[in-house]
Amino acid sequence: MTTEAARAWRPPPRIASAGVRRAAWVIAAAYALFAAWTIDVDGARIAEGAARAADFFGGWLRPDFVTRWTDIRAGLVESIAMTLVATAAGFVLSVPFGLGAARNLAPAPIYAGCRGALAVFRAFHEVLVAILFVAMFGFGGFAGVMTLVVATVGFLGKLLAEAVEEIDPAPLEALTAAGATWASRITFGVLPQVMPRILGLTLYRLDINFRESAIIGLVGAGGIGATLITAFARYEFESVSAILILIISMLFVAELLSSRLRRRLL
Amino acid sequence: MTSPDVVLDIDGLVVRYADGPEVLQGISFTLGPQEIVGLIGASGAGKSTVLRAVQRLVEPTAGSVRLGGTELTTLGPVELRDARRRMGMIFQEHALVDRLTVMENVLCGALGRTGFWHALRRRFDPADVAHAFQLLDRMGLSGFENRRCDELSGGQRQRVGIARALIQNPELLLVDEPTASLDPAASVRIMTLISEVCSESGLAAVINLHDVPLARRFCPRILALHEGRIVFDGPPSELTDAVLTEIYGEEAVEPHVAVGAPAEDRRDD
Repeated sequence: MTTEAARAWRPPPRIASAGVRRAAWVIAAAYALFAAWTIDVDGARIAEGAARAADFFGGWLRPDFVTRWTDIRAGLVESIAMTLVATAAGFVLSVPFGLGAARNLAPAPIYAGCRGALAVFRAFHEVLVAILFVAMFGFGGFAGVMTLVVATVGFLGKLLAEAVEEIDPAPLEALTAAGATWASRITFGVLPQVMPRILGLTLYRLDINFRESAIIGLVGAGGIGATLITAFARYEFESVSAILILIISMLFVAELLSSRLRRRLL
Repeated sequence: MTSPDVVLDIDGLVVRYADGPEVLQGISFTLGPQEIVGLIGASGAGKSTVLRAVQRLVEPTAGSVRLGGTELTTLGPVELRDARRRMGMIFQEHALVDRLTVMENVLCGALGRTGFWHALRRRFDPADVAHAFQLLDRMGLSGFENRRCDELSGGQRQRVGIARALIQNPELLLVDEPTASLDPAASVRIMTLISEVCSESGLAAVINLHDVPLARRFCPRILALHEGRIVFDGPPSELTDAVLTEIYGEEAVEPHVAVGAPAEDRRDD
């Protein structure tokens, strides 16, 4: 008791060398200072903008649903349609990509091909893809749907592949041992294990797609975003406010429905 | 095609995993009709590999495996599926699909002869469904058909696993550590059930067991594996302390150590 002191213990540091640790702090601090230095703050411009901001926020407090209601309704309906079609089509298309990109199911060449395709689908932000599709298919909802389908396949396909790679392999082996075909092994051994997760992610993607449908509208791909950018261009901040409130309400409703649905399904 | 006196004939079976040592170094034995063999051996001796190589869940490196006269090691994918349907396998930790119902899990054993679109819509052959109900009754699981498997106890799950193997109408049962996750009483019940259904259906079986007393009690013939070779083949009465020492080392011969040492992980070879 007297000879043995209490033995101290600390978790081992992530960076073993004390010198490297100290250097990392110094570099981080120097970089933060340098970054702060490069921010160009212009007081006059801020003062000027403040007046416009006041105008903008004033408009916020007086949302106007009525004046542009026909446009707003058409935009909302188009956004909802784009969202539903793109999520459903994206879900269906993501299944083959997701299965192909799962290392434990697919042979190497298919695995590489599907992983590559999924990476390409996710490589560009929706806005860039939308610009491309607008150039290809013209203004409107079709370009928007195509954009959202690509984004949805990239998102769901990758997450499906990861879910498939984490399944318990034992039931799959039992199906193999029972002489089941490949297709039956997938539908009985794999899908039941990943479905709850995939349904949850699809509902989440539905939510994202609605938000994205507002964004890609800004570059001409239809939906409520097109209505929104028009209202901005006309300085109709009251209508802008109404549109934003509607988008937020829609997302609330989607959230409510998806959490209900999730409880039902899982 | 089927020779009447030999169900399974394994000759010189060698299994080597990719750039690893030989897990099985030339195993040979034959199994007659209705013969029940207990395969014992220490963890890592290769017990599971024997069963998995027969099913070609791992590919044999050399040797021959014949099921009722059919050479399994050279079969193409389609014939292999047909051959696998003739062997029912019961797994350590049951290997059920948790989120499916008991009935769906049992019918998984009939997937080999069910078309994909029928399987997808769960339109199984009525004869298979009737057979499944019969098996569930036999397993003491009447009324459980619509329960999800993750609601069942370990012993109940293992009985679903047995029903899944039996619905294949197999010629042979391959049973891998059926009692690995069960308490001693449930282990005895499961082993009793397996030996009863074997004699009812006239099945031959190879049963991997880490539990030597269970093997002695339920298997009229015992094979012992040690470092990838068979070191004992005979009735339980000839399984002496000397043999057990060779298989398990000195400690195992003390009876209180030998009984029911739990399997350490799911694939213990």
